[in-house]
Amino acid sequence: MNLILQSKTVNFWAQPYGSSTLWAYLFGALIFGILVFVGLMFMPAQFRRPVVAFCTFIAGAYWVLLYAWPAPIDLQPNELPQGPVEGVGAWLKDANPVVVGMTGIITAFMLGLGIFSLLSIHLRKIRRQQRDWPFSVVLLVSMVAMVSFGYADYFSRQGPDGTKLDLQANWGLANYGRDLLFDGLLQQMDAAMFSVIAFYILSAAYRAFRIRSVEATILLSTALLVMLSLMGAVAYISEQTINGLVSSTGNDFFLNFTLTEVAGWVRRTFETSSLRGIAFGVGIGALAMGLRIWLSLEKSGGNA
Amino acid sequence: MLIAEAVGQQYRETGWFGVLFTAILVTFILINIRRAKGGKDLYIRRIAGLNAIDEAVGRATEMGRPVLMVPGLSDTVNAIAVQAVNIFAYVSRLAARFANPILLCCYNAAVYTLAQEVIRDVYQEEGLLDRYDPDSVRFVSDRQFAFAAGVSGLILREQTAATFFLGEFYAEALIFAETANSIGAIQVASSTEATQTPFFIAACDYVLIGDEFYAASAYLTRQPVLVGSLVGQDWCKLLVLGSILLGTLVNTSYVQSRTTKSWDDEKAEYGDVSERQNSAKQSIVQQLATPLLSKMPVERPLDPNAPVEDK
Amino acid sequence: MAKNDPIPQPIKPSMSLAEKLTSLPKFYLYIILIFFSSAPLFINVTVPNKPLESSIDLYATLMSVKPGETVLVASDWTNSTRGESWGQFNSVMRILMRRGVNVVLYSTGDAQAPRVAQDSIAKLNKERLAKGEPEYKRWENFVSVGFFSSGEAATNGMATNVKATFAGRKDFAPGRGLTDVYESPILKGREKIENFPLLIVITGSKTSNITVERLSGKVPIAFTVTGVMGPETGNFYQSGQIVGFASGLKGLYDLEGLMENGVNVPGKDGQIVIKSEKYPKIDGFPGQPNAGQGSRYYPTLHFAVALLILAVIIGNVGMFLARKGAK
Repeated sequence: MNLILQSKTVNFWAQPYGSSTLWAYLFGALIFGILVFVGLMFMPAQFRRPVVAFCTFIAGAYWVLLYAWPAPIDLQPNELPQGPVEGVGAWLKDANPVVVGMTGIITAFMLGLGIFSLLSIHLRKIRRQQRDWPFSVVLLVSMVAMVSFGYADYFSRQGPDGTKLDLQANWGLANYGRDLLFDGLLQQMDAAMFSVIAFYILSAAYRAFRIRSVEATILLSTALLVMLSLMGAVAYISEQTINGLVSSTGNDFFLNFTLTEVAGWVRRTFETSSLRGIAFGVGIGALAMGLRIWLSLEKSGGNA
Repeated sequence: MLIAEAVGQQYRETGWFGVLFTAILVTFILINIRRAKGGKDLYIRRIAGLNAIDEAVGRATEMGRPVLMVPGLSDTVNAIAVQAVNIFAYVSRLAARFANPILLCCYNAAVYTLAQEVIRDVYQEEGLLDRYDPDSVRFVSDRQFAFAAGVSGLILREQTAATFFLGEFYAEALIFAETANSIGAIQVASSTEATQTPFFIAACDYVLIGDEFYAASAYLTRQPVLVGSLVGQDWCKLLVLGSILLGTLVNTSYVQSRTTKSWDDEKAEYGDVSERQNSAKQSIVQQLATPLLSKMPVERPLDPNAPVEDK
Repeated sequence: MAKNDPIPQPIKPSMSLAEKLTSLPKFYLYIILIFFSSAPLFINVTVPNKPLESSIDLYATLMSVKPGETVLVASDWTNSTRGESWGQFNSVMRILMRRGVNVVLYSTGDAQAPRVAQDSIAKLNKERLAKGEPEYKRWENFVSVGFFSSGEAATNGMATNVKATFAGRKDFAPGRGLTDVYESPILKGREKIENFPLLIVITGSKTSNITVERLSGKVPIAFTVTGVMGPETGNFYQSGQIVGFASGLKGLYDLEGLMENGVNVPGKDGQIVIKSEKYPKIDGFPGQPNAGQGSRYYPTLHFAVALLILAVIIGNVGMFLARKGAK
């Protein structure tokens, strides 16, 4: 299994496979990583915040520059950028897949950390036979089984005949095992949990949707209107009724009062504008929050 | 001018407007942070959900039952997750002082790492590190409904008295809310996903809607940076409002003038109204909107290392 | 009182109608819901329906993609939202498969999503083979690029350069095993997002927002979303940032109806079933398996919503009676 990505394009971030430059980069990165790791281990506590702030700033600066720096117009793969501005723009653009890859790697390591947390909590529970420890056994056995069958299924699909396993007739034990655990158990349990929401919606609606004030009345009647418009049968009946009225009076104006039209008007006017307003607020809030994190203006763990 | 010379892809046609608008929003926020740091007293209106935090933690302490916090289902450590953890740091500080146990359930391993560090720091700052239980901050699962099942189980087993659901929530929002409601817990909730806000409103005691969530840390801590940032956000919203009004007026008058302008002047040029409306001739608005245009760069040299594509 | 006399129990006052109505046990509500939701599954009911404009736009866009073209499909759903998303995915894929359009599958929403999508394609292939139609082959008709853990970063990358973003991603090529996806014939010459005629996002999460933020204006985008996301997706549709969308079971039922009847196509009785002033005649696929989850579950939606409305009415009637009694 070849662990090194073999890129066909050559730029600052992607050197030819097997070249001395690539090996120099890999070796340099390894040495740099070890030095940083050792440095961080022995760094005095008062330098912790500035280092974190610096790393945060560099990480955020890439995205800000990618957004704001003039990107080369229609730069083809076989062209070189013209001038320093285009050069920097092309360098930033070429770095994008590398940054995407980095986030994937960090996510994978973080997942390992999460698994470690799960293992430490539940193994301790089993060792000390604390309350509900059998469920911890079930969790760990399930985790090991899913990982084992999942990898066995994945490795069975490697090789030239892997696509044959798209057809169930060609499956082996590993494939059936993965299918049973994933499709047979996990997916069905996921769907069952989602279905529980239907019951909760009913009990919440029964308990909470009460006409206690003018606002609640408006809210409830609008909700009723929109819910009825989702029912095709009801919408059809309303349309037939209005059509009858139109044909008897000869006035097309009444067509504006079919259930679908009224519900559509509510959606287009009130609903859309309200959601847009909330989206603007949330977007600006996220921008401000991002800015504070990037510039390390945010002091976490606020004083009560 | 650097940008005009380079004529970046994102600045062409009307693209420059988005970048400029963002720069103005950023400037507003930074100006107000500076104003707040300078000692100016800035007003924030009352937010009921945030006032209820002290009440909720107090109630949990009286009942001797834990406080549960869920920072949402963010896939990465993003602004929402950080904001949620900051609010929970405040809640944990209160709980630590009252020796009330906490439970912070994380969906994402990175958020779990962050939360662990922040909560431990909170206990350390309060001088109550002996009260900190490392298992109080836990990673449950990164599968949505496995997480929902795990947290619901915790709520029912631990009989939490106060629950805080703040962050990114999706379909599992109602599962949490109804489960906590069934044991009589006091609930404060907020989802940045507008789709889930109605469910929280139906099932929870206090709900923060939209950007009240982002206002929370400023409201609770009154740190100048945060309050200044919040006021800056309000300036940004006013700018957006002004832009919408201006755009509506200009667009309306533009359409008005295009459709009601006398035909006599333009009959010879166009066949009918629709042809005039669809004409490629640029209006004043369009001409103003495209100052930095397609000045294409000079011919670029070829890259000798570029791979030859198979055709 | 004698020693063995029974201890007198306090007399429980009987509950008034108002109290009964406002305190119905949840158990009975749930039982009624189970009955109401399950009953339509055993009764074959065809519900009259007028498709929404957004659904017609989605269908028209899918039908306008030329055979042999390659579209991007972001499959960001898993079986937790399969009640809506699975049916939407099946309908979209049926249309694309029948028109001979190639598909590049990727996901930014959930690590399980690529596997779920491929399993669904396997089931659709089984259906095609049963009808004597050719199998939709991996590598020649579709490739799966896999899951990107950071949706924002990946979509940003796609906005800049799709080939670079998909670099290093492999899929199973027949006779060769795992091979770089860009060696597949369906991805040749498609390096930028502008080289794709359409991007379809099938999702139950915020990946729709992420996609519109970064790719709107660069490639035509269409969505199929869960019912709860319908209102916010309508914002993007009304502003023209997306070309069409189907929302929830209603949207799915619309899509299945459009596949069966087409647009402005006369039915067997000569009457046009689905009219649209916006489009000329767009054919459907009559006689082929079009009815799916939408047709099966749409009657159930009626019953469930009716029960919801009834529960709200009962609760409010009880509240009014209680207020009246208190006065």
